[in-house]
Amino acid sequence: MWGYPEPISRLIEHFMKLPGIGPKTAARLAFHVLGMPADEVAAFARALADVKTKLTECAVCCNITEASPCAICSDPARDTHTLCVVQDPKDVMAMERTHEYRGMYHVLHGAISPMDGVGPNDLRIRQLLQRIADSDIREVILATNPNVEGEATAMYIARLLKPFPVTVTRLAHGLPVGADLEYADEVTLAKALEGRRHV
Amino acid sequence: MVLREIEMVDFRNYASQRIELAEGVNVLLGQNGQGKTNAIEAMYVLAMGKSHRTVRDPDLIRRGTSSARVEGVVDRRGRLHQLSLTIGPHGKRALHNAVPVQKMSEFIGCLQAVLFSPEDMQLVHGGPGVRRRFLDMEIGQMQPAYLFHLSRYQRALQQRNALLKQPHVTREDVLAFETQIIDHGAEVVVRRLRFIRHLREIASRVYEIISAGRERFDIGYVWSAGGEAPPPDDKPAVHSAIAAALDARWGADRQLGHTSVGPHRDDLLLYLDGEPAQAFASQGQQRTIALALRLAEIDLLREETGDYPVLLLDDVLSELDDARQRNLVLSMSERVQTVITATSLFGLADRLPQPARLFHVDSGIIQMEG
Repeated sequence: MWGYPEPISRLIEHFMKLPGIGPKTAARLAFHVLGMPADEVAAFARALADVKTKLTECAVCCNITEASPCAICSDPARDTHTLCVVQDPKDVMAMERTHEYRGMYHVLHGAISPMDGVGPNDLRIRQLLQRIADSDIREVILATNPNVEGEATAMYIARLLKPFPVTVTRLAHGLPVGADLEYADEVTLAKALEGRRHV
Repeated sequence: MVLREIEMVDFRNYASQRIELAEGVNVLLGQNGQGKTNAIEAMYVLAMGKSHRTVRDPDLIRRGTSSARVEGVVDRRGRLHQLSLTIGPHGKRALHNAVPVQKMSEFIGCLQAVLFSPEDMQLVHGGPGVRRRFLDMEIGQMQPAYLFHLSRYQRALQQRNALLKQPHVTREDVLAFETQIIDHGAEVVVRRLRFIRHLREIASRVYEIISAGRERFDIGYVWSAGGEAPPPDDKPAVHSAIAAALDARWGADRQLGHTSVGPHRDDLLLYLDGEPAQAFASQGQQRTIALALRLAEIDLLREETGDYPVLLLDDVLSELDDARQRNLVLSMSERVQTVITATSLFGLADRLPQPARLFHVDSGIIQMEG
């Protein structure tokens, strides 16, 4: 059987290791790379390598950063009394896009999921407790995902925080802004009703 | 509600088939193995999002093709809804009025159907899993929130079970998942208890009519923790009962490596004249019980949603004891759109309630008579 030359099939194999990429897409991407100018390919390869070599975990918040402590942790304008605990670096970006939150972050790098072999010790929970013990944090917002694993992680951390003099809060469930009531699903609506407030 | 038409493409033994159904009774006639049950299954899949015969969706795809599609037009109080479900090798895609549906729980129930098939005898003599599945499917069809709580419950349960298999697990470790097991489990149990309270009322009345008052039929909920289940309207009591049961079984569950108590272990108990029917009901009585449960569902759905479901009767005319029972089932079609499969009409041809439509099924091709 005729096969691709070794360098191209090696590239295809690497693309196939990426999430959501099957053999056909991998082959298309590999041939696209083949057609790119050499300097662009070199820049691409450098960008890939830099992700591993130039990034590190922030010693304070555990977010990925070029320099530790990260830009948020070293920003004097941030409110150091409020700490928002999220699962992934992507969640920090989501919170930052709101331009509403001015506090600090702590990135867990996952959620507790025994089925996938992820326990509390695989997350940055120890660092979180150390940080709360060492600094003047007054409120901890648990912003893990509202699924079974995220809820369990929030509950687990909330229990560990009991001895500390901090207020522990959880993000509210509710209706998406701009959505019509009639299109909200029953469960979302029930949650929103549960969390209703005075006007 | 009325299923105006159904189309099957590469579904089981159908390459491409569309039929228009009558508002009253529709009879699919044909020899065994021609595709009668497959057509009923297609209607059921459109209603429930999954088959009653297989848990493997790819089984529904016609051999040699890559995906199956079922489409239907549902008339709900004069408004037409177009439903479409495509089953591929790796998943399904649902459309409601040509708009993709994000969650299957929102698609289920757009068409409501009640199916009675020979497999329903399992409801009486089968294992507890058959009866739990019955509860889950029926309540889920009426309340999408039930399916949400059930899936969260099952997920949290799997996580607890994974922890129980770890060698040095402590009581503290499982609490974060247990809280969710208790919260969602209580929602599941309360909804089941309410459903059963309602079902036993209607089903016992239906049983009395079918059996001409020979026996008294009743239903109870078997609480896996032992003892009486709390009353359905007392959610705090259900909540603390599940919590207490998990607590009490902690040692045993650790040994077993799985969770031995909770709604995933509960059961339905069916009684005839105060005795458990699982143990001693005759074939005929089992059939009557199964039929009474299914017919009761029709009224339950009507009360819950304001619409009558479509009644699907797969190969049951031959199973029913006498002409009186057959007439009784057929008389349902005066209120409810009915689809029946049969090998022969058992002399009922001129007694079919109108409007009726006859179809002949032969090797994956359906033709309307006349």
